[in-house]
Amino acid sequence: MNSKAYYGEFGGQYVSESLMNTLSELDKAFEEAIRDESFIKDYEYYLKEYVGRENPLYFAERLSEKYGTKIYLKREDLNHTGAHKINNVIGQILLAKRMGKTKVIAETGAGQHGVATATGAALFNMKCKVYMGKEDIERQSLNVFRMKMLGAEVVEVTTGSATLKDATNEAIRTWAKEAEDTFYVIGSAVGPYPYPKMVKEFQRVISKEAKRQILEKEGRLPDAVVACCGGGSNSIGMFAEFIDDSEVKLVGVEAAGLGIETGKHASAMALGEPGVLHGMRSYLLQDNDGNVQLAHSISAGLDYPGIGPEHAYLRDTGRVEYVSITDRECMDALMELCKLEGIIPAIESAHALAYVFKMAEKMTKDNIIVMCLSGRGDKDVHTVAAYLEGKDMNK
Amino acid sequence: MNRIEERMNYLKEQGKKAFITYITAGLPDMDSTKKILKAQFEAGVDAVELGIPFSDPVADGPVIQNASYKAIKNGVNLVKCFKMTEELRSECEVPLVFMLYYNTIVHYGIDNFAKECSRVGVDGLIVPDLPFEEQDLLREALKNAGDETILIQLVAPVSKERIPMLLEGARGFVYCVSSMGVTGQEAQFHKNVKEYLNSVKSVSNIPVMMGFGIRTPEDIKPFLDTIDGAIVGSHFINLMESCGYNENKAAEYVREFKAGIE
Repeated sequence: MNSKAYYGEFGGQYVSESLMNTLSELDKAFEEAIRDESFIKDYEYYLKEYVGRENPLYFAERLSEKYGTKIYLKREDLNHTGAHKINNVIGQILLAKRMGKTKVIAETGAGQHGVATATGAALFNMKCKVYMGKEDIERQSLNVFRMKMLGAEVVEVTTGSATLKDATNEAIRTWAKEAEDTFYVIGSAVGPYPYPKMVKEFQRVISKEAKRQILEKEGRLPDAVVACCGGGSNSIGMFAEFIDDSEVKLVGVEAAGLGIETGKHASAMALGEPGVLHGMRSYLLQDNDGNVQLAHSISAGLDYPGIGPEHAYLRDTGRVEYVSITDRECMDALMELCKLEGIIPAIESAHALAYVFKMAEKMTKDNIIVMCLSGRGDKDVHTVAAYLEGKDMNK
Repeated sequence: MNRIEERMNYLKEQGKKAFITYITAGLPDMDSTKKILKAQFEAGVDAVELGIPFSDPVADGPVIQNASYKAIKNGVNLVKCFKMTEELRSECEVPLVFMLYYNTIVHYGIDNFAKECSRVGVDGLIVPDLPFEEQDLLREALKNAGDETILIQLVAPVSKERIPMLLEGARGFVYCVSSMGVTGQEAQFHKNVKEYLNSVKSVSNIPVMMGFGIRTPEDIKPFLDTIDGAIVGSHFINLMESCGYNENKAAEYVREFKAGIE
């Protein structure tokens, strides 16, 4: 066992023998790169000049007033391409170039990671193929078009459930075939080691900035830090710099879909059964035979049956509390942010917001909550419209 | 002695090549699977791989993926495969390898899985998403269950300096994957396949089997002076699909293939 690949009993490298050398080359290249000043300089340059960092830690005045506690929003939605995903893509594609790869592949669900990868590929002149489930292609036609405009090939995946899980399977299959010249850009804090570590390091910038910003504004650390969790990339980036500050409560918010009790949800943690999928051992939704169960969430970005292995570890050690929010609760929070602050959040991020509102009930006006507003909601307006119509019809 | 090792030793003494087929369990039903396995044994197959279906078969190409989805729809699971194996064992001594993904084992419970394999007579395991570094728990469990089931080692065209490690302690046979990626790529072997097979053969104490993308004896003719046999999966499933899972056709294919590599 390669103990370096594990977070407690989670993580590992559950891939075919064909990929083992690829993973060790990647691990070596990554560890060298993050110790190389010129690599870090390039990464920081593109984050500043291209992505538009640093982004604000915004004090949400009207929300804070209404909920009786200080609420700060880390504005990842203001990044180029509209979400935190680009932070990691810049890092991984710079690494791919450094390793001499000429092609990148990626999986995508909602399309945000696909768009970010297509963007990075255009910027760094790499060929790009994005694997996307047929179901998601239909649900997210706008993002499909954006990827094509950016010069990427979008590969329709029709196997299995034809969603993110299957797009990931197909990306892994292609990677196993083409690893000699192809770099697989994983968008979430999942996959075989070193991916979970790599994604965390390239998303760490979120909490690096947020920590400095809150100290500047408030002169102290926040009482709580909250982020939504699908595979867990924005949350691991948001938690990274606060993990050692034991006085800061950390909360990860999963999607409860129609409700955990209905079985139609995307909360890998809720039932707490470990499993092995996509190269890692972590918590995993599965049926009585150990087949992977489909996740359900109104948010395509949280619609994933697993979760990153470090999150599984942080749950078991008690450092992070994982909770869940239903489709309905998140949509209410989403509308509230639109109306009170003039910000249209991604449905994913609205899950975290809904939990912030719940938490605020037990807090005082001097408490501080920092939340990661991981993405903007432009991509979601059709889903929101359909939801609101459906809701009205139910009346 | 383990049935795979026994058969491989026999073939070595006779100077003959081995032939192994793969079929997904429960297509169209478990009874047919049992009949197909028996018919192949009678026709001289040297071992059979039984695929236990999984929802996310990342090491498989489209043919085995589809077979796997169909089997799941038919309600096939690990428990039913154990039951069928137990029934098969009262009538047939075919060397039997389960091919399955690691989550199926983890979900069942690693120790119980090992005990059940030993109890019903599963001779070998192929777990394509369990590389050497992650095998400790399963090996330990198999050992504790009496060491009767062999964990077959897979080697890839890019394994290179990993080969000695993979072969150390390997038993039964070594499974050389002939191309990168997934099963069923229709004889599109890796560009350095010859050199790679030679490098495995030169350090292996156990038979070297070639698999992935093989359809006919002609496909492996160029490698017969190196390898000890071949494994056919996707093509065999296609064949079975096209004849409605007729066990006589399965037997005929085995006889023809065996004759073609004599």
